[in-house]
Amino acid sequence: MKKMIWFTTISILFMLFIMPAIMASLIKMTPADDQPGYGPRRLSIYGINELSQKFISKEKNLTAIGTTVKNPNLKNKKEVVLDLYDANSNLIRKSILNGFNIGDGDFVKFVFDAIPDSQNKEYSLTLSSPTAAADEIIEVFLMDNTANGIIEYTFAEETHQGGIPMVTFHKPENKWEIIKEVYSNWLSKLLSPHSRKTE
Amino acid sequence: MKKLLLIAIVLRLLVSAFLFHPDIKTYNFQASFLKKGVVNIYSYLITNKATLPLKDEFVYFPLTYFILGGYQMVTSGILGSGFDSWLADAGAGSVVNNQNIFKYLAILKFPYLILDIGIAFLLLNYFKDRKKGEKAFILWLFNPFTILIIYAFSNIDIFSVLLTLIAFLFIKREKLWKASVFLGLACCFKLYPLLFIPFLFLKGKDLKEKILVSLIPIFILGAVILPFWSPAFVQSALISGLTTRIFNPGFSIGFGESIIVGFFILSALFFYGWLTDKKNNLFNYWTVFLLLIFSFSHFHVAWLLWIAPFMVILAIKKPSLSLPIFILSALAIAIPMFYQDRSMTISLFRIYTTWYDLLPTPFVVLQKLYDPYNFMSVLHSTLAGGSLIISYHILKKEEEEW
Repeated sequence: MKKMIWFTTISILFMLFIMPAIMASLIKMTPADDQPGYGPRRLSIYGINELSQKFISKEKNLTAIGTTVKNPNLKNKKEVVLDLYDANSNLIRKSILNGFNIGDGDFVKFVFDAIPDSQNKEYSLTLSSPTAAADEIIEVFLMDNTANGIIEYTFAEETHQGGIPMVTFHKPENKWEIIKEVYSNWLSKLLSPHSRKTE
Repeated sequence: MKKLLLIAIVLRLLVSAFLFHPDIKTYNFQASFLKKGVVNIYSYLITNKATLPLKDEFVYFPLTYFILGGYQMVTSGILGSGFDSWLADAGAGSVVNNQNIFKYLAILKFPYLILDIGIAFLLLNYFKDRKKGEKAFILWLFNPFTILIIYAFSNIDIFSVLLTLIAFLFIKREKLWKASVFLGLACCFKLYPLLFIPFLFLKGKDLKEKILVSLIPIFILGAVILPFWSPAFVQSALISGLTTRIFNPGFSIGFGESIIVGFFILSALFFYGWLTDKKNNLFNYWTVFLLLIFSFSHFHVAWLLWIAPFMVILAIKKPSLSLPIFILSALAIAIPMFYQDRSMTISLFRIYTTWYDLLPTPFVVLQKLYDPYNFMSVLHSTLAGGSLIISYHILKKEEEEW
């Protein structure tokens, strides 16, 4: 019975205090912000209909861009391409996914090699599905306001404020950075005066 | 013993506060309408679906609504003014980032702690031999399975489990009337104890007692649910997917007919008890029935609690079965961890950070190596095989007093 007491106590404490660190060590990238809210307005992307969007990366080591993508009736099985340009319009990264792997309404991440000095720099992305026909569209949502360093978007040669509700992801310097961040987030909530007294 | 009890309580409070399954927020959001004077939650939720932030239906029985809603009324002073807005918050991130979440979870799960400790004390007094009782008490308090099932998954089935155990203890003392009352109360939280009624019927001394002890739970259940009887109640709670899933597995015998495994097992055990086992040891039937139901159905992790007290009794009574029971318990709890549902594993830890949303579930990880459905089938088949042999051991020892 003693063995069971020790086993249970250790396994529960391990799950609560060590497991979060193990899980944190498996995180390969972290988001700069939460995904901004978006309305029902959508843009259809196929063939030459592509979307461009300017944004500022808030952190260094930019390694992925994510947004919500609709693939109505899962008809798009063509390449979906994200090109990333620097402020001088030089193509610096390219990420290609296949529409076959994009569900209708999925949050899709376009991953590329990290850009070490990306903090506070302006970039422009282009999202396209060049070989898709009119019945193989993918759709992206539009935000009602600007957020997450998003500046403007261009579609059908018209430029507007705001853009798609995207999130930038950044590669951490090392695993310990994430582990530290996870525990400090948890402890700050736990030790917050609000968590101990009645409002 | 006191020291062990204290450690057990601390472990439970830690799991209560740090692990979050979204179900606890959903059913407490629904129960919070009692404070606003809503009596029939089933029709209220359906009528107001368009304006409510959480659209789920109330899948539990009325007694659950009144107990949870009443508890919120009592504890509203401690929960604070922000509690209702937290319950109504539909934001996936803001819910777990709320500074008060530890307090909310610890308070909302506190009734489970009382019932859980109550089960431990019932087990302590179950055996005539005090030492065996103490072993059962410790085994209940110190096994990771029930701690996880009750506190991580916010398992509301504990109400039924405690009441069913009380019913069983009355059966052991030959007090069938009291047993049938408690079985009826247990049914008011969850329907599964209704399945024990055929065995209660067998236990009755004469036809009059057999009929009465079988009808009492049905009357109690009827008295509680009839005032709420409506299409909304029937659809949400009575024939919800979770209630009926237990009888889903079956195999076709042609021409639209099929053998429903759950009823097949129930019938086989009933006739075995009637025709073969003259002692009608209900422990055997309840335990074997649940073992086989879990073996042949796609069970919810919460259901595993139904059998947990009986497994503790079995492990103490037959120490040679304790290791196989431990292995089968680990297998049973491992199976739901491979469901595609994130809240079975990774999402339980979202209080620590929402970055865990970026991690793949065990299902996705396994998918890269092997077919996860095949893997789950292997685990489930192993569980079924083991359970079958344990059942054989239980029934073989029918002459023993459990």
